[in-house]
This record gives sequence, C-alpha cells and structure tokens, in this order.
Amino acid sequence: MPSRILLSKLATRFGPAIERADLPDPDRLFVYVAPAALREICSHLFGELNARYVITVGADDRPFSGKYLVAHDFALDREHVLGSVMALLPPDAPRVDTISDLVPGANWAEREMRDLVGIEPVGHRDPRRLVLPDGWPEGVHPLRKDFPHDKVPEGYDPGRRFAFQDPPAGCTVVPLGPFHPALDEPAHFRLFVEGERVRGCEYRGFMVHRGIEKLAESVLGYDDIPTLAERICGICGCVHSVAYAQAVESAACLEIPRRAEYIRTTLLELERLHSHLLWLGLACHLVGFDTLFMQSFRIREPVMWMAERITGNRKTYGLCLVGGVRWDITPEVRSELRQALATLEGEWRTLLSAVGGDRNLKARTRGVGVTSPALVRQMGLVGPVARAAGADIDCRRDHPYAAYDRVEFDVVTAQEGDVWARLWVRLEEGLQSIRIIRQCLEKMEPGPLRLDLNDALPPGRIGVSSVEAPRGESHHFVVTGDDNRPRRWRVRAPTYQNLQGIPAMIQDQMLADMPISLGSIDPCFSCTDRLETVDLSSGAVRTYGEAELRALARGGPREGQGRKHGGLV
Amino acid sequence: MSAERLSAALLVVLGALANVALVLLSAPFFQGVQRRLTARVQSRRGPPLLQPYFDLLKLLGKEDLESGEAPGVQRVAAYLALASILATACLVPLGFPAPLGSAGDVLLLLYLLLLSGVCTLLAGAAAGSTFSWVGVSREMMSMMVLEPILAVALCVGAVHARSFRLEAVLDGSPWLSGAPVSGGLMLVVMLLAFQAFAGRVPFDVAEAETEIMDGPLSEYSGQKLALFRLAQMVKLVVYAALFVGLFVPWGSGWPFPLGFLFFWAKAFSLVVLVALVAATHARYRVDQAIRRYSVLLAFSLGAVVLAALGR
Amino acid sequence: MSLTSKLKEAWIGLSAGTVTLPYPLAPHPPGPGFRGRPVFDAARCIGCGGCASNCPAREILIYDPCQELRVIRYLGRRCTSCGRCAEVCPEKAITMSEAFELATDRLSDLEQRLTLFMGSCQRCGRCFAAPTPLDALKLTGYRVDDLEAGRWVCASRSAPPGEPAADVEIEL
Repeated sequence: MPSRILLSKLATRFGPAIERADLPDPDRLFVYVAPAALREICSHLFGELNARYVITVGADDRPFSGKYLVAHDFALDREHVLGSVMALLPPDAPRVDTISDLVPGANWAEREMRDLVGIEPVGHRDPRRLVLPDGWPEGVHPLRKDFPHDKVPEGYDPGRRFAFQDPPAGCTVVPLGPFHPALDEPAHFRLFVEGERVRGCEYRGFMVHRGIEKLAESVLGYDDIPTLAERICGICGCVHSVAYAQAVESAACLEIPRRAEYIRTTLLELERLHSHLLWLGLACHLVGFDTLFMQSFRIREPVMWMAERITGNRKTYGLCLVGGVRWDITPEVRSELRQALATLEGEWRTLLSAVGGDRNLKARTRGVGVTSPALVRQMGLVGPVARAAGADIDCRRDHPYAAYDRVEFDVVTAQEGDVWARLWVRLEEGLQSIRIIRQCLEKMEPGPLRLDLNDALPPGRIGVSSVEAPRGESHHFVVTGDDNRPRRWRVRAPTYQNLQGIPAMIQDQMLADMPISLGSIDPCFSCTDRLETVDLSSGAVRTYGEAELRALARGGPREGQGRKHGGLV
Repeated sequence: MSAERLSAALLVVLGALANVALVLLSAPFFQGVQRRLTARVQSRRGPPLLQPYFDLLKLLGKEDLESGEAPGVQRVAAYLALASILATACLVPLGFPAPLGSAGDVLLLLYLLLLSGVCTLLAGAAAGSTFSWVGVSREMMSMMVLEPILAVALCVGAVHARSFRLEAVLDGSPWLSGAPVSGGLMLVVMLLAFQAFAGRVPFDVAEAETEIMDGPLSEYSGQKLALFRLAQMVKLVVYAALFVGLFVPWGSGWPFPLGFLFFWAKAFSLVVLVALVAATHARYRVDQAIRRYSVLLAFSLGAVVLAALGR
Repeated sequence: MSLTSKLKEAWIGLSAGTVTLPYPLAPHPPGPGFRGRPVFDAARCIGCGGCASNCPAREILIYDPCQELRVIRYLGRRCTSCGRCAEVCPEKAITMSEAFELATDRLSDLEQRLTLFMGSCQRCGRCFAAPTPLDALKLTGYRVDDLEAGRWVCASRSAPPGEPAADVEIEL
C-alpha cells in the first residue's frame, strides 16, 4: 500500500514529530506534524523523496480545534499517492516557516495564505500582497471564520500603492495589460524590455477575485457548490465540478455508481477536445493567423453541440452532484456522439497534417517560450506545458479517478519544451481523448446515475482530488463540515502554477513572442482568481471616485514617467 | 497665357482630379473584396462588399480624441499621409497616361512614396505611447530595407529605358532588353515583396494587432484615423498600379476602354492575391521579416547589375 | 514544404463552405434537451419549497402571508437554468423550457409568482403550526423570505458564535 510505505519512511526518519496520520485510502496520506518540524519534513519530502509540490492551504480551524491549519499538498506521481503534510498552529500568532526557498513553486500559495487567512510564512523572500487589493486594511483576513462573507472592511486606504520592483538597468517598462488584445481576462504583466528583448517580468493578477471559496464555506450547500465550481472557469468548468465532487466523495468515503464514472469521464474528455481546439484557434490568432483560428473553431463546434445534447448546455454542463451525475447518455445520444466523433477525428487528422508542415507557423513557435525540465520541477508546472518539456506526468494515469483506470490511452510528451512542442502535445492529446470517449461509450454499464444520500456527511474529514484539466492538474482540497457545507475548500487551478513559470519562460525572448508564450500555457485567469474579498465596488462607488478606482485597477500612475500614455497602462 | 497652354493646364487638372477620384472610389471597394475573400477562406460569410465605405463614413462621424503627446503633429501626419499618396496617384498611369506624368521623374515618385511612409513614423512618434513607439521602430526597420527594393526595381526599369522619365519607366521597361533575365528576377522579387509593401500578413509587423495594438496608429480616432485608413487603402491600389505598369504592361496599350479595363483586371488580381496570401499565413516577427527583406534586397541588387550588363 | 501545407489549410477552409448562421436575422431554435428558462405550473405545485431550498442562486423565494396562503416568487435574475428546481420538484410542476432570448430592461419580466392555497387540517381546520417562531424556523421548508426586497433570508453561519446574525443589505 503506497501511502503506508510513505508513512513508514517518514515515521522512521522523523519519529515523534509525526503526531497523527490518516490513511483513508491506499493512495491517500494525511499527516499531522509538529509545526516546528514542518519545514524539515517538507524539505525531505520534496527533496530526497522527490515529491511534486501541489499547493499550500491555510485554514481557520479555530471554531473546531481552536487552531489554524496549514497543509502542504504533495503528489508522488510514480507511486500514485496524493496527500498532505499538515500542522496545527496556535491561534494568537499563526506563523509557519516558509518552504518557498526549498520549493519555489510555493511562492504564491504562501503569499495567498498570508493575505487571506493571516498565517505568516516566516522567511518568505517576497512577502508582498498577492491577492488582496492594495488598499485593503492590514490585519483583516477574509477567510477567517469571524469575517462574514458579505462584510466590507473599514479602513480601506485608496492612496496605498503596490510596490513594484524596479526594472533592471537599461530597460524600459512595457505594460501588458490589464487591458490588452492578447488577454481575455485582466492581468498585468510588467515587462522589462531592452529594445525588443524582454529581460524580466513582474505579474500582478487576481483582479477578478470573486469570493468563491468564502461563499462555499458560508452560504452554499454541498450540492449547490458544483454549480458554482463549474463557473470558476468558462472552459474547464466540468473539471472543477468533478474535482470538487470527488474530493467530497473521497472525504466521506462515498463510491459513486460506475455508470456515473463513465459519464463523468466522457464529459471530461469532451471538454478537453473543445478546450484544445479553442486554444489552437487562440494561439493562431495571437500570431496573426486568423484563418486557422476560424477553422479550428468551426471544427470545434460539433463538440459544443454534443455537450448541449447530453447536458442541456454548451458549456455549463451542470453535471455533478456529490454522489453522481445528473445527466444520462441515452442510446440515441450515444449513436449521435459516435458519429460526431468520427467526423471530428477526420477533421482533426487533416488539421494535424496541414499544421505539421507549416513552416510559417513553426517560425513563430519554435524555440519560443522554452521551459527546461529543471524549471518544470522547480515551479511544479503541470499539464501540456510540463509534458512538452519531457515531464511524464498526467493525473489520469498517475492518480486515476472516475473511469480512467478502466480505459487505455497514451500520455503524449515531447522534448523541446517550446510553444511548438506544446501545440503538438495538445493536438495529439485530442486524438487520445477521442479514443477514451469511444472506450467509455462501449464499456458503459447500465445502472443508477447517483447515490441516494440520506444521512449527513461526516464532518471534519479531509479529501483531496486531482483532475487532469486541459491545462494541467486541477487540485481540490476539501474539509467536510456541519450544516451541509464544507469547512474549507481550496481550489488550485493548473494556471496557478504555470503562471509562476512565465518570468523564466520569457527571459531574453523578443517582445513579439510575449503574447504567444503567455498563450502557450493556455492561461485561465478565471481559474486562478477564484478567491476574493468582498464587494469592493459598492464600497468604492460610495466613497471613492471612478478615477481612483480606475487608477487602482491599473496599478496607479507611474512615478517619474510624466504624463500618462494615452490611457494605456 | 495662350489658349493652348490654358487648355493643357485645365486638362492636367481634370486628369489629376480623375486619378484622385478613381483611386479614392476604388480603394475601399478593393478592400471590401479582400475582406469578403478572406471570410470565405475562413468559412464565414464576410461583410458586404461596400463595408469599407460604411466604416470610413462611420469613422468620420466619431469623436476625434486627441490623446497623443503632440496632437498638432498628429494632425499634420494624417493629412500629409493622404495627400502624399494621392499626389503619387497622379504620377502613376492608371490605365491611361498619368496626368502629371511629365511633372517629375522616378526620383519624385520615390520621394513621395517615402513621404507617405514617413507620415506613419510621424504619427507614431507624435502619439508617444509605448506601443506606438514599438510600432515606429518596427516600421522604421522595415522601411530601411523595403524602400530600397522599390528604388532598385525602378532603377532596373530606368536602366533599360535609359531614362528616368516616368512615362518611359512605367511602361514595362524591365522587359525592354533582348534577354529579360533582370526583368524576370525583379518581377519575382517584387512579387515576393509585394505583401510587405501592402502591409499585410505575414508582413504587417508594424501594426500587429495582437501584440502592440495597431502600432503607430494606436492613438488615432475619428476623422484622422479615417484619413489614415483611406491612405492605406489607396496605397495598395497605387502599388498595384505601379507593379502592373512596370512588370505586366501587355494589354494596357489597347484602345480605351479595353486597355483600361484590362489594366484594372490585372491590378485587381494582384489585390486578390494579396488577400489570399494574407489569409493563409501567420505574421512574422520583425527580425524574421527583416531577414527575408534583406535576402530580397540582395537579389534585387543582382538584378540591377544584370540590367546594367544589358541582360 | 510550407506551400503544400498552406494549400492544405486553404483547402480545409474552402471545402467546408460557409458555416456561419444568419441568426439573429433568422431564428435558430435550440436542440432537444436544451435547458432554458424554468416554467412554474401553479396548478401542480404543492408548495413544498424544495425548489427554493435547492436553488444554488437563491432566486426562488417563499413567504407565508397567513396560514392558508403561500407565495412563491421566482425572480429569474441570477437564474443559471441549472435545472435543480425541476429535478427536485416532486410533482413535476417545473419544466425547463427552451426559451433563451430573455434580454429585457425590466427585471419584472423575468419573474414568475405563484400564490397557493395551502390545505388545512381536516379535523381542526388549521394549518400545522409549530409552537414558537423559532421552532418554525427549524422546520424543513419553512421560509420567511423578503419578497419586497427580493432576498433570501438565512442566518449567515460566518457570524461569530454567540452574536446574532447582522441584517445586511444585499444590492442587486
């Protein structure tokens, strides 16, 4: 049993520091350790044991255990283990040693934990605000249990500005965003440019935080949350609702009917198909190739029709409930789906052969935005970005869920790590998705669509789930609670990790390659910005003028650069 | 002034007006055809053929926000852009002899074309925003390599025609020698460079919408933007006319209206070719584009050497 | 070579023809099974309140003006057509129609209001009533939503334990 083996390794080495361990499954491990030993254990885990860093979660557990909880989620892909190393911190001054120097990928997660829960990562080299707006008062942490979800805090300071880094010598600052044709959602990339070469970059995001995690803990119920979760992202919504449902089911030890597993798998793969085609179109648009953009959207359209046929909506499927699914794949829908897949496969292969020989497209994508295997490991990059750099990781195979342990498919990897490799990996993955859907349609067993849940779910239990979204691993962490809702729900979208790799990816690249490099990680800012504070706009409208709000959203006027450049940030 | 000279002057003025009217009216229509064709390649319907006219009219009615660093220079750049390209149109034969054809020589033509390019640079510099500066630098780099190609093409014609006079050069002059090697080479070079002169994908680096938000024209709106857009449309027509005049003269000498129609058919097919190439290519990066232009420039210099040797 | 792939790409486009639809100049009804706006049938409704309790957007409100009357108000503003209300309704009184062209400048156009006569006990003639309002609140399905302001009234669990839940303004 892999989790038991891992536990015994940790126990032999750290002995008394391990306070308690839960092994609800052969592939799940939740270890509670003494706070003082947390850093050392993490160092061993992510260093010698070569675990992959997933996310750090901070939670206010004071109403239940009287303490704060900090959890470092990890994955051992080869051994198929997902788990968390946790510590309970004293309530008056919650502090924990940082692990961001050992694991650079933990940078954002610790800053977010500090902003929203108030747990201080001691020794973090960049403890600036990440998520909360600049003027948010100090010491007010929205995810704490004594902060109501709809409260507007006093002491908002409109004059406070974010302390951007200085550009390196000889560089000018070229702002990319928050409004830019290459970006669908607001994000601010502050590029340090020397001539046409990018020498560095600073990212400021989280401008569309929506308070999803807080809402789930405060006012929604277990079965309401999938409706919310699938709106985390407009492209990979199904992934989030499945991951949430699976996390709760794992926490409550629920085994859903097999038919439901097949249906979840089918819709997850349909989603992958539509997402990859959308990405292909967008990437071509970014390099000015509008024809291929239009054509990939044309080829994608039948996938949307099939989703509408099965679930009633093109994108917001409304698929999951805790314990199963809501929609069935009837025999006539099955034959329609088979037909649509046949046409799609034909067009996909034609597209592959046309794009494969396109030197014009290759000229814009080869050698651009390169990630090395070392960067993948360091920042915990996931998905096609990682696979294109040679990392053989895929949650469907490493941490099987739904019906993936019953279907056969290949994990596509490439070696070059540039945008072209990512393009190729995504295109090949689409063919694998078609293969998976066909197998699901064949193997689908008759049966109920969901469990009949009549009792309340046991509270205080932890569940994690990693689902392979089109962009990479989407990881959900749930602690079940009373009153029909979870105590804590943490969503880690794949873009959260991949965005942290951007500064290294665009180093010393041409400015013109910035949009396509950014686009090649398939960024989903909606997925990344899913936490928020509250209703700032009503606060701003009441007291603060529109000009200030605009200035805040755009990071304020540049000191020393004189007149604002025509409204562009 | 004698009656003859008066009537000659009047004829010139009327001819100039005719040229200007012709390019002003036909340029948006050509763009409409291009947009329709691009749409068909992209499996969609596309806008009506007259859409560019509507777009220009709409722009004329919009608020003219003067948001750049030097609005006065921006105004000058806009007017000058259209004026210079219309003046060029009067120098170029459009299916009938150019009204101002004897007013200047090939060098004047080159300077006027250069001037319209400089207007774009002025526009971007006057705007002063980061993106327009990036666009200006890209446009400058492109111009430095592209304008010489055009100059060399005209030189090849001039060498063969043994004259710099426009009527002589713009009448199929590269084909005047017995073995038209230089003519053929120059034709191929100009054809490959034509997409860059037209400023369309894959060579529209200066205006890359998804990268630098329209480059030098970022800070333009309303009437001034309409002037620039019209100037860009007219530029395509003028370049097409130049190309046809230099390299595909056959049939243009036929009596009116056959020669006139045939000339415009040739120009039209060139415009259609530009649209097709634009629809099927991705945009090159500025360094990749400059590399390609440099290769073309090298070949064109070879062509002029061959022309001097009588080939 | 790049030329062949360009020709292939052009061929992909031209052979597919024009695929865009003339909608909205021509109607385009959605396919079967499309989840549009829910339609409430007052004749079948028994006033159980299941739809209101299960609406993730909290857009179905219930209020009892007196013991024999129950008012159910579907606001429709934030409705995402998820279909949970139709799914849990024991009497199949809610159907997901195919209507999706719902844009309007008057929110009241989206509203559906049902006023139901609740049956009373055959012996004593009264509706079942809990001893105190607090006990009534604990009954499943008992609701006192604010119909005028259009908001779901619930106790926020994120208030500090021991303190009463504050009355909050929720703006549209």
